Amino acid sequence: MGTPGGLHSDFETLLTRFQETDSVRFEDFTALWRDMKFHTIFYGRTRHMEKNKFTKEALSLAWKYFLPPYTFQIRVGALYLMYGLYNTQLCQPKQKIRACLKDWDEVMKFQQDLTNAQHYDASYILRKLRLDKAFHFTAMPKPLSYRMKKNIPRTEVTEEFKEPNDRVMKLITADTLEEIMNIHEHYQEMKQIISADKSQPDKALSLIKDEFLVNIKNLVLEHKQWHEDKKKLFTKVKNEDDQKEKEGSSQELEGSERAGALAKIKSKAYSIVTQASKSRRHRQVKLEPLESELVKKLGKTPCSKRNKEKLESEEETSSQIKDFPAPKRKRRC
Amino acid sequence: MQTRLWRDSELRRSDMAADRLGDGGGGSSGDGGGFRFPEYEIPELNTKPFLVKALGKLWKERLVGARDFSLEPPAPGSLTGAGGGEEDAAVAEDLGCSLETATELSLVCGLDKLKYCEEEDDPEVIPEDTNLVTLGLRKRALEHREETITVDRICRQETFAYEMESHAIGKKPSNPADLVNEGELILTLNIFYPVIFSKHKERKPYQTLLVLGSQKLTELRDSFCCASDLQIGGEFSSTPDQAPEHTSKDLYKSAFFYFEGTFYNDRRYPECRDLSRTIIEWSESHDRGYGKFQSAKMEDFTFNDLYIKLGFPYLYCHQGDCEHVVIITDIRLVHHDDCLDKTLYPLLTKKHWLWTRKCFVCKMYTARWVTNNDCFAPEDPCFFCDVCFRMLHYDSEGNKLGEFLAYPYVDPGTFN
Repeated sequence: MGTPGGLHSDFETLLTRFQETDSVRFEDFTALWRDMKFHTIFYGRTRHMEKNKFTKEALSLAWKYFLPPYTFQIRVGALYLMYGLYNTQLCQPKQKIRACLKDWDEVMKFQQDLTNAQHYDASYILRKLRLDKAFHFTAMPKPLSYRMKKNIPRTEVTEEFKEPNDRVMKLITADTLEEIMNIHEHYQEMKQIISADKSQPDKALSLIKDEFLVNIKNLVLEHKQWHEDKKKLFTKVKNEDDQKEKEGSSQELEGSERAGALAKIKSKAYSIVTQASKSRRHRQVKLEPLESELVKKLGKTPCSKRNKEKLESEEETSSQIKDFPAPKRKRRC
Repeated sequence: MQTRLWRDSELRRSDMAADRLGDGGGGSSGDGGGFRFPEYEIPELNTKPFLVKALGKLWKERLVGARDFSLEPPAPGSLTGAGGGEEDAAVAEDLGCSLETATELSLVCGLDKLKYCEEEDDPEVIPEDTNLVTLGLRKRALEHREETITVDRICRQETFAYEMESHAIGKKPSNPADLVNEGELILTLNIFYPVIFSKHKERKPYQTLLVLGSQKLTELRDSFCCASDLQIGGEFSSTPDQAPEHTSKDLYKSAFFYFEGTFYNDRRYPECRDLSRTIIEWSESHDRGYGKFQSAKMEDFTFNDLYIKLGFPYLYCHQGDCEHVVIITDIRLVHHDDCLDKTLYPLLTKKHWLWTRKCFVCKMYTARWVTNNDCFAPEDPCFFCDVCFRMLHYDSEGNKLGEFLAYPYVDPGTFN
């Protein structure tokens, strides 16, 4: 029992257009909904059983976009989509949205986010769906009947809607880079203060490469660029794929491009390895412990790396949620 | 049995511990009895074992009863969209916004915003100017159907299946005492027929039943209908009018369900035998690697008390060797739109249409007799409906003609 053909692409078209509006307002969503005449998705001379089955599938597909790993905006879009589908469906009584136990905590977290960010329209709609008893509270996302394993369709996550999940980017954001820069500056100053020659740090204190900061910055930028290129390439290849269906060649293309990009990164990485003289190389190993010691010495906020990372990722999501303009006071109705 | 009870109490303890910690989100499950959420054992196929009633408990902890799973109909104000002042006040309180904003919200988020107002908006007709891929596909499928349709046979079956599925939806009991309790769990069971015809190689026929968590296993056993329970033993060629009233169900009352290592035997009547004993002894006699099976009384357990895996094949066995695979496909909280009459559960919602065996003479009516060594019949065994059987095998006085053995026959398709 697969998802009926077309639903997938129709949902993604709507959500992509919603994503392009860069808004989470219900007004903007309904404008798109009306423009696409999305309620007609249930139209046609279909029989009761087909209608029920189709509606169930549509709701359960919409539910998938309502959960992580999709971005906040897509999830809001999916919420509106479920609201629209639930209320315009032609089944009598209405088919319900299956909410499974494991996902519900995510929904509650999401509701909290909505409230905190004062996205009143979205929280209003979630509240209304609950009040209208639009949900079936179930054990698992779908009924399970023992089947042969080969029949299981693969679930794919649409990359464009996904929350960017990139560890490097998570670890080194613009803020961390700036922080490292500051620490480095501070470090240099400290060295100057304790050196005999106040204008230049003592040679004996020169334990790290001065240009390592610049190198890190370049690396991060490079990585970001590569990531974006890859994404572009991915969509390009996908489009080509759809048009020509030349699977083999396009895969090759993707493969070679990827290999090229990897080689580039590799060569870049190797070129950055500091060319210290043999006699000094043993000192480089101490680079890291020294740095952490430095943080202690400086008496700066002694938050560990991991802690910091967590903090930042939280900040990131919350800032993302707040990125969307707060609801306007006055609305045209 | 001992272990089962122990696991039960252990679970309760661990649940209490979790409550004390105020752990709201722990989506992870531990091992053994101290689980949290039902989780996949094999993705998309079946879950790990969990206690049915724990699911109800976990859900109720997360929901606001009156709002989410009460059996009252949804508030009328919330249905029409723009509610009155009371509704706005409630919205304002829930969302923490001003009353003015709440009023505005009910307008902005109204359902009228989803409808594209246009004349000639007929749900039966797919609009011409649509860009939706789904509609394009559906249009083609419907056109194809129109061109190729020859018999409306599938349609008839589908109508029947739809009626079966929806006949009890929204039913309220005439006696308020029979109302399903709020927060009750509904389990969906697929019970397969014990048939192994080659035409069923791909899809095994089954029935779907809904049971309530608070119902006993014996309630399912009593309501479940299988042709082998109705068979009548014995040869009646000389006395066709005296076929006894007693069916196999009245004579052989033993049966068991098998779930997660435990055999639940029906022991309500003194003549019930422990059908599982042979299996348990067989498994223990040579250490066959099945672990230790337990046995319990079917009448002592409700579905809430069970440890089960969703989607996993279990067994119902009756009449000694009539074996039905049982799969619990779904568990959920009861909803306002469900059948709310307790007495209608276990509720049959889906049934496979079996071909009935027809009378060999008239080829019209379902067979009720089967004969062996029949001097009148071209086949052995041969099937007859009641009228044809009597006309062929007896004279007008009711005297037996010729040599044959006759047995009453209950066709599995009788319940179609």
